[in-house]
Amino acid sequence: MARENIYQEEEFPSPLLQLWYHFKEKPFIMVAFGCFIALILLALFAPFITPFDSSQNHLDHLLLPPAWNDNGNVSYLLGTDKLGRDMLSRLMHGASFTFGLSFFIVIVSAIIGVIIGSLSALTSGLKSSFLNHFLDVILSIPSLLLAIVIVAILGTGLSNTVLAIVVVLIPQFVHITRNEVKKEFSKDYVLVSKLDGASSLRILRYSIFPNIVEKIIGQATLAQSAAILDIAALGFLGLGAPIPLPEWGAMLSNGIDLFYIAPWTVYFPGIAILFAVIVTNLVGEGLRHALKVRKTS
Amino acid sequence: MLIFTLRRINLFIFTMLLLTLLSFSLSKLFPGDSLINLSGQINATAEQRDVLAEAYSHNDSIIHQYWAYLTHLFDGDLGLSMASHLPVSSEIMNLLPATVELSMVSLLIAMAIGIPVGFIAAVNHKKFTDNAILSIAMIGYSVPVFWLGLLAILVFSIQLGWLPSAGRISLVYEIKAVTGIQFIDILMSDNEYKWQAFQDATAHIIMPACVVAIAPMTIFIRLARTSMMEVLDTSYITAAKAKGLTFWQIIYRHAVRNALINVIRHVGLQFANLVTLAMVTEVIFSWPGIGRWLIESIFQRDYTAIQGGLIALSSFIFIVHIVTDFIYAGLNPLARDRKHGA
Repeated sequence: MARENIYQEEEFPSPLLQLWYHFKEKPFIMVAFGCFIALILLALFAPFITPFDSSQNHLDHLLLPPAWNDNGNVSYLLGTDKLGRDMLSRLMHGASFTFGLSFFIVIVSAIIGVIIGSLSALTSGLKSSFLNHFLDVILSIPSLLLAIVIVAILGTGLSNTVLAIVVVLIPQFVHITRNEVKKEFSKDYVLVSKLDGASSLRILRYSIFPNIVEKIIGQATLAQSAAILDIAALGFLGLGAPIPLPEWGAMLSNGIDLFYIAPWTVYFPGIAILFAVIVTNLVGEGLRHALKVRKTS
Repeated sequence: MLIFTLRRINLFIFTMLLLTLLSFSLSKLFPGDSLINLSGQINATAEQRDVLAEAYSHNDSIIHQYWAYLTHLFDGDLGLSMASHLPVSSEIMNLLPATVELSMVSLLIAMAIGIPVGFIAAVNHKKFTDNAILSIAMIGYSVPVFWLGLLAILVFSIQLGWLPSAGRISLVYEIKAVTGIQFIDILMSDNEYKWQAFQDATAHIIMPACVVAIAPMTIFIRLARTSMMEVLDTSYITAAKAKGLTFWQIIYRHAVRNALINVIRHVGLQFANLVTLAMVTEVIFSWPGIGRWLIESIFQRDYTAIQGGLIALSSFIFIVHIVTDFIYAGLNPLARDRKHGA
């Protein structure tokens, strides 16, 4: 019997669906993706599901070791710190700060960076050259130094460090958007829209953005792992989150004095940061790989 | 090459100009009086203030003020540190060499280990070795540097007792600072305990340098791997294969050299990242460098120090950037006559 349908697939998957198919091919990446989702949920709902309040002191349980230790107590699964605060609750709550804020930071700086980058790609001559050199200067300043300068202007505190890291990440997005838009603008399909009489902004919106969005997402995942590390580093140096907040970097620096007596107060926040960054990097890696496969297949 | 050099010099001047502009505007942005922020003399009397205002053209237009700031900068006058009341320039001259030393040793370690490992991964592409190297590189790239430093101190200094945990050299040795780079100073000095001092300094630098080197090393692994894989895909490698060269001959004679060029190109960009890590590491290992000093200056609200440190550290990074550009252009003739720089 003759086939009515000449195509093998019943329906052709949309680009986003294709991306998902390529993304989920690797089981390892899917595990990381599951952890990533779990971290997002934890960041959103941590204050409601922690066993104790993250700043509640249990004065009769100071420096309790984790539950698997002989002296541990199972109601404080990961032990307590020097003020008797439950480590598990603090780590869970810390996800909203270190991990949750990194999301916010990346989204804000990506939006600003892409707007500046695409507008600057449309300029040429002296203005463009000035911007290019200016970006080179900013990129040659170490991100932490720039963040320190901004914190010095605004004063220490969590909201100021967030602002500082947003500013620090913007140049990278400007740089990549600018380069990609310039590259795409010299291609023939853009010329077609141009001959159709489309304005530059229209070309940017309908022809170029769909083609460069993957590069920007790739940069965003890199930026997010950098943002997590930066928040934690500034917290560790005492420039970020103030001491009572359970931000992972600040928790780590808080535990240093008793590092030798109570090593778990330093191990666990470090492992939490490591875990969050590895998961973010793996998801980013999987995403970039899937985008590459989709493009070539 | 001449045009290339001119382009780079032009870029350097422009960058320095922007950097000084940034630092100058910081004096306005920091809390407090901009004149005090520039000069660092917090306890100036009214007469001294008038003299300062004259020296920094503080009552003229902003362009005059910037010009006066530039002249002060060229005279090597970065003001007084608000915390210690010493000239910032002399503090920087004391501290910057330690950071230069630490970052250079780390860069060497990162390149010496990262690049060969990356090549090995590329040669074994899609085999177990490649996957293992990539996974380890992913972990190394994700580990927070301050945590790694603390763990290193716990393991190597406290538990095993192999390496000292803080400082540049044991206080026992008295080395006269000539260049500030300690290894050169030790070798130049003519003491009979020169070699012990050298060993001591090496023991002090190994741990912080390795901690700083971990993350850049993983980036070099990835860069070297990608560039090696690109080179192995080219047609001149196929031609070499067709000539009947063995696999290792191809790798040594053709692939490694061409792949190295692409890696060297990225060294400059990675360097800013490396210095960031070095700044945090200096705090943990009490390394007497400029990063630790800058972080302390924030707590002391030492705005003059922050401005001076910003200029010193960024120009150091930019000089390294330009030097690697030159090395790249020297090695790769194709890069020399690109029409548009940067």
